[in-house]
Order: sequence, then C-alpha cells, then structure tokens
Amino acid sequence: MSTASAGLAKKLGYTNIRVYLDGEPAWSKAGQPTYSTNEFIKNGNVVLLDIRSSHKAIVGRIKGAYSVPFDSLETALDDVPRNAPLVLYGDKEVQEAVVTVRDQGFNFVSLVEGGYTGWVKAGGEIEKGPIFNTEIKWVRKLGKGEVSVADFRKAVNGEEKDTVVVDARTKEEVAELGIFKNTINIPLDEIPARMNELPKDKKIYVHCSTGARADMAYSELVKHGYNVKFLLLNIKDAECDCEIIRP
Amino acid sequence: MNKKIPQLIPLCLMLALLAGGCAETKQAEVAATPAASVQQEPSIYEGEINGVSERAKSISIIVGKGDQAKAMMVKFDDKTKGINQAKKGVAAKISYQMRGTDAYATEVQLKLAKLPAGVTEIKTPELQQLISAKSKLYLVDSRPMARFNQSHLPGAHAIPVPLLEEKQAAVLPKDKDLPLVFYCGGPT
Repeated sequence: MSTASAGLAKKLGYTNIRVYLDGEPAWSKAGQPTYSTNEFIKNGNVVLLDIRSSHKAIVGRIKGAYSVPFDSLETALDDVPRNAPLVLYGDKEVQEAVVTVRDQGFNFVSLVEGGYTGWVKAGGEIEKGPIFNTEIKWVRKLGKGEVSVADFRKAVNGEEKDTVVVDARTKEEVAELGIFKNTINIPLDEIPARMNELPKDKKIYVHCSTGARADMAYSELVKHGYNVKFLLLNIKDAECDCEIIRP
Repeated sequence: MNKKIPQLIPLCLMLALLAGGCAETKQAEVAATPAASVQQEPSIYEGEINGVSERAKSISIIVGKGDQAKAMMVKFDDKTKGINQAKKGVAAKISYQMRGTDAYATEVQLKLAKLPAGVTEIKTPELQQLISAKSKLYLVDSRPMARFNQSHLPGAHAIPVPLLEEKQAAVLPKDKDLPLVFYCGGPT
C-alpha cells in the first residue's frame, strides 16, 4: 500500500519521498506511541483508561473512561481479553504505560491525542464526579462471517431446523474426541469436492477446533454461494458448552 | 497462564485479519483452468494468505480485489517448497498444479514490497528522531481508514491508497519538495 502511494506521489512530481516499510507494527513494537482518532474512541468497541490519579478523574474524565491509576493498571487488566483495543490517556506516565500494557500482551494499545486536555479542546464529551464503574468489561464483536456461540449452540442442540452444522476437523480428530450432536463431518480438505452434499437453501455453520479451518471453509463455501457462517472459538472453551457424542 | 491460551487464538486470527501489509496483493492472476497438456507450466495464485491448516494440508489464499476477491483452496505436501513461509495474513505467490480435481502447491514465495525508483526506505530510529524533533515532514498513513482510526503514528495524515488515486495531488502538500513519508501495515 505505502509503496503504491509513494510511486503515485513520485509521478505527481514530489521530489523527496521515503517509505517506512516496517510500518505501524514495527513502530508499536519499538515502544513508540500510536494514537486513535476521537471518533474511534467514542464509537469503537474500546476500553478507555484514565491512568491519572483518581482525584483528577473525579474532577473530570473522558465520558466512558475507566479510572485506573497507573500503579494499579496491570492488576485491573488481568481479566481483560488481550484482543481488546485499549486506549489510554494520562500525564507523562502514559508513554511508559503503553509499553507496560503491550508487554502484558495487549496488541491494540493507543493513546488519546493531547490527553485529557486535547480531548476537551476538541470538544469531546466528559463526565465528572464519583466513579462507579470499576470492573472493566469488554465483549468482542462478531467479525465478518462469524456465528455467535449462542446461535451455534442452538443449532447443535437441534433447535434450528433450517441449519446444517459442519465439523471441518479431520476424521482422526473426530474419532478421538467425538463430535457435536446434529453435526456432519467434512474435513476442510474435502470441502471443495464434497460441498455438493450441502444444501444451498439452508444456513450452514462450520466449526473446527479453534476457528482457523472453519474460517477457511467459510471462505470456500461463501464463494460458491452458500449461506454460511463459522464459529471462531476454541471448542474446548467452557463458553462453548455443547454436548459431544463420544465415539 | 493456561487460561489465556483460548483467548490468544481468536487474537491471532484477529491480528491477521487486521494486518494490512504493504506488499502488492493487487493482481491476482486467477489462473485459467490448465490445459490438458502433460507438460503444463505450473499455474499461479497471488494474493493474501487467508489461512493455513497443517492438519488438512491446505492453504486458502485470497486472489482478486474488492468484489472480485475469492478465496482459493490449494493443498500442499512434503514436496511443496517454502511451505513454512505460508502464514495467515502474508502476501504470497503460490505455484500449483492440478492433480485430478485438486490443486497442489509446488512452491510458496513471499511477495515483498518493492520500492519505486527514486524512493528510499526509512527505518524506525530515524523516523522517531524526525518526529520527536518536529522536523518538517508530511507523514502519510496509506492503510484503510478503519486502521488509521484505531491506531496511527503521531501526526500522520490518513490517505488510503484509493483516495490518493482519486484525488491525486489535491490531498498532498502543495510544496513538492517537502519530505513525504508513507507507511502502512508492514513489509508483507
């Protein structure tokens, strides 16, 4: 992308063009701060953290922010999923905090441009007074083509009559670990040859062991016009809670 | 520690989904069905790898752009060269042959970004220095808007590639000698 843009700029007559090929991931990895737009902070599914002293947060904080002073940050984030996008703001310590939480395993960490004062200047909404929401809650939104665990569970329980569930694991895995109820086994590599066994007028949910193969099967089936979704979940996860027919 | 493992799996998938690499995944020679000749040249898929399954010995690769984008399934075996380079999210070129009805990869090659003539690369320490010294510099984020909104470098301007293609110099500084730095989501 950046090289295409650089080439275009060259054609337009710009004389001093460079490309930072390593890009945003390398920048973050080097411990450098990145920023979110105010729009994203307001409407994105983010965990917004005010890492200043709680005294300052009571005086005024960004609407929806959790007040988590820097020294209690690691503990407060212990149970937050690592794929949650974190947006931090604070005083000088915020630069150090970015590195700390990235080291803790969070991959999407960014800052508010200009911190609290920057937000206020930009006309962002704030709130004041005592803080009641102390426990950080974050739920991942479903991505493209994903089925919710609740819908998936209904289908394997036979509560969704117009749905076919496909298990894309290998025959060996099924033989060893069992299979969900109301499910047919078509290993991923057999999907192209065997998709004609699947109905086009019904919904199809694909699962595997973690979601990786199910995602690939989803891409293949969607291309051929199937009404398909996939489960992005490790089926050993307690959240799945689907009955297994043992071999 | 153990309880974190299930969380990491969707995370890896999500990361791969979000990674917008720099390499040109743009063209997509959707290879025609190979002719019946015995001495056929291997066909090629170029694009972003959508997934690799060791258990199913299969790779899924996205070829084509936008509405035309399609995921193609290719199998691999012990003879496939460069298979360990095949990872979700990277831009690659897969040479394959048809064996019966199945496509088998003979070689997987990574597509690395190529700099246009007269354009040089900048590395992190130098860019960091320029930014912290507030040097005259016009920093451009070429990734899709959603990625910019989530996380961008300090002072960067959002100009996704399609926008630059459409508006051309109107979205760039007037001074054509001002140093421009473009970045995106990494080299592959």
